[in-house]
Amino acid sequence: MSTANAAANLASVVFLKIQEFGRRSAQEQARLRAQLEAVVAVTTADLEPAGWIALDAADGIAIAVLSDPAGALRLAQRALSAASAGLPLCAGVNHGAVQVTSGGRGPDGMTGDGISVAASVAEFAASTRVLISRSFRDALADASPALDVGLSPAGVFTDTGLRTHELFFPDKSAAGRRQRRLIAAGIAAVAVFVGGGITARALTGGHKPVLDATMAKAGMSAKQREAWLRGVREKIRF
Amino acid sequence: MAKKKIQLTQLGRYKITGELGRGAMGVVYKGEDPALDRTVALKTVMLSDDAAGKTEYQKRFFLEAKAAGRLSHPQIITVYDFGQEGDVAYMAMEFLKGKELRTRMQEGSISVPEAVHIAQQVAEGLGYAHEHGVVHRDIKPSNIMLLPNEQVKIMDFGIARMRASDHKTSTGLVLGTPKYMSPEQVSGSPVDHRSDIFSVGVVLYEMLTQSKLFQGEDTPQIFHAVANFQPPMPSRLNSEVPPMLDFVVERALKKDPAVRYQDAFELASDLRSALSELVDREAAAAGEKQRDRDTTKTMKLDAEALKAVLPMPTAAAIGSDTRLPVSVRFDCSDAIERLTAPTRADRALLRRAPRPVGLLRRLIRHRMLVATMIAAALVGGAIALA
Repeated sequence: MSTANAAANLASVVFLKIQEFGRRSAQEQARLRAQLEAVVAVTTADLEPAGWIALDAADGIAIAVLSDPAGALRLAQRALSAASAGLPLCAGVNHGAVQVTSGGRGPDGMTGDGISVAASVAEFAASTRVLISRSFRDALADASPALDVGLSPAGVFTDTGLRTHELFFPDKSAAGRRQRRLIAAGIAAVAVFVGGGITARALTGGHKPVLDATMAKAGMSAKQREAWLRGVREKIRF
Repeated sequence: MAKKKIQLTQLGRYKITGELGRGAMGVVYKGEDPALDRTVALKTVMLSDDAAGKTEYQKRFFLEAKAAGRLSHPQIITVYDFGQEGDVAYMAMEFLKGKELRTRMQEGSISVPEAVHIAQQVAEGLGYAHEHGVVHRDIKPSNIMLLPNEQVKIMDFGIARMRASDHKTSTGLVLGTPKYMSPEQVSGSPVDHRSDIFSVGVVLYEMLTQSKLFQGEDTPQIFHAVANFQPPMPSRLNSEVPPMLDFVVERALKKDPAVRYQDAFELASDLRSALSELVDREAAAAGEKQRDRDTTKTMKLDAEALKAVLPMPTAAAIGSDTRLPVSVRFDCSDAIERLTAPTRADRALLRRAPRPVGLLRRLIRHRMLVATMIAAALVGGAIALA
C-alpha cells in the first residue's frame, strides 16, 4: 500500500459512528449499517459531488468533505436529525490532514490525522450529539466567521493515546447569547459616543447659547443662571 | 512419539477392512463391527514407548474419547466405543460417506448460501459440544465432513479436551492447526469455547472469499498473522456476500475473545438469519428485477482489484491505524481525483491552513452593528463640535 499523492491535503472529516455497534446482533448491525448508508446518501446530496469521500469504518462511516467546513457541519447535524428514528448515531468532526492511499489498482483508501482525530472525537460523543475539534472550529471560523459563534465549549478530553482534544458542540442558544451581547454592546457604544459628545460639549462651553436661551425662557436672571451653572460644573467635576 | 508401522487386522472386536487415512496422531481405519454388523471408522493412536509419557497420553486419549463419546448430535460424528490393543489406543466412530470440506473447497468455489449453511451447522454442533463442556480446538475444513444430504458433521475431537480437565494435560504443547487457530491459542493463553468460534469464522471467511485468511511461509509467520492481521470484509472480496455476513464474520474473528461471539448458538442464529436473507434475495432475484431500495449509488466491484483491500477498523482503533477503505457504496471517484491529481486552484484551496480570524473580519460580518456604531460616533462628534 502506498500513498497516492505525497502531499497531504486538508479536509473536514465527519465521523458518523453507530453507538455500541459491536454489542449488537449481526442482523441489527446490518440493518443499522444500511440505515446509516441511507442517511449518508441523503445528507451528502446537498454537497458538491466532487467535494466528499465516504470511507468505511467497522462501526460507522467517515466522510471527508473537501474545502467546505460549513457543509461538513451541516452534514453532521442533518445526519443526526435524520437518524433520530432508531439509529443511535453520534458524530465527531475534525479538520486535518488526509491522504489518499493506493492498493493494487489505484486509490482505495484514505489515511491521516484528520481521520484519526475525527474518530477519537466521535468516541467521546454521546448519542445524537456532535462534537467538534478545535481545528475544525478554526477552519469553520476562517470559512464562515459567523458560524463558529454557534459553537460552545464541551470541555477538554484525553483519548486512549493520551492526546488531549479541546472540543465544542453546536449550541443554538450560543448564537442567541452572542446576538444579545452584540446588541448590548451596540447600545452601550451608542450611549458612549452620544454621551461623550454631549459631555465634551458641556465641558468646552459649547452649551452656553442653548442654555442661555432655555433659561431665559424659564425667567432666570443672568446672575441666577451663572450661579446654577457653577453648581452644575461643581457637581460634574466632583 | 516413535512411530511404528504395524499391520493391524483386528482391534478389539472390530475387524479392520481398510485404511481411510493417516494423520499426525495416528491412522484411521475402516472396520467392521461383527456384533452389530455395521461399518465403523477406527481412529488409532500409537501410545508412547516412554512409560510416564504413555500413561499421560493414554489418559488424555481416553478423556478425549469420553468427551466425544457423550456427544450425540446430528452435526457431530458419533463415537461408539473406545479401547486399547497393546500399544494402540482406538476409537470406533460412525463411518461417514461424504466429502471433506477441504476437498470441496479445492474443487471449486462454494456459493454464499451453501457456505453459510455449512458454517451454521458447524456452529450448531459446536454449540452443543460446548454446552456439554467439550471444546474441539481444531476446527478446520478437513475436520468438517459434507454428507450427500447437505448435512454437515464435525469430526475428530482428537485434541478436544473437557474444560474441567484442562489443567491435567501437558502444558506448553500447542494443539491445533496454525491457520485455523485463535489468537489466544497461538499465544498460549487459556483457551475456551470461543476459540472454536474463531476457527469457524476463519473457515467461513475462506469459503466466502475463496482465499486463505492467514498466510505465512512458516508457523511463526502464520501465528503473527493470526494475532495481528485484520482481514478486509468478505464483501470486499466477494460482492455476493451481504453486509450482514460481513458483521457475522467480523464478530467471529475478533482477536479479543471478550468481544467475539460468546456462544456458538448465537453465531448459528445469526448465520440462520443471514441464510434466510440470502434465500429471500435469491427468490427476489428470480422474480422481476429488484427495485432499488435506497438512494445510494453503487459501484461494480472488481474482485481482483480488491484482493488487497483495507480492513475497516472501528472508531476506537482508528486512533492507532488511520487507514480507512473508500466506501464502495458511494461514487467518490471525482473527489478522489481532486486529491490525487489536483488542479492548481484545488491545490491552493486544499492545502491552505485556516487563518486566525481577526476582529476586523468578525466586525465586517456584523455590518449593522458597525453602521450603528459609526452613526453613533458621528452623532456624538456632531454634538461635541456643533
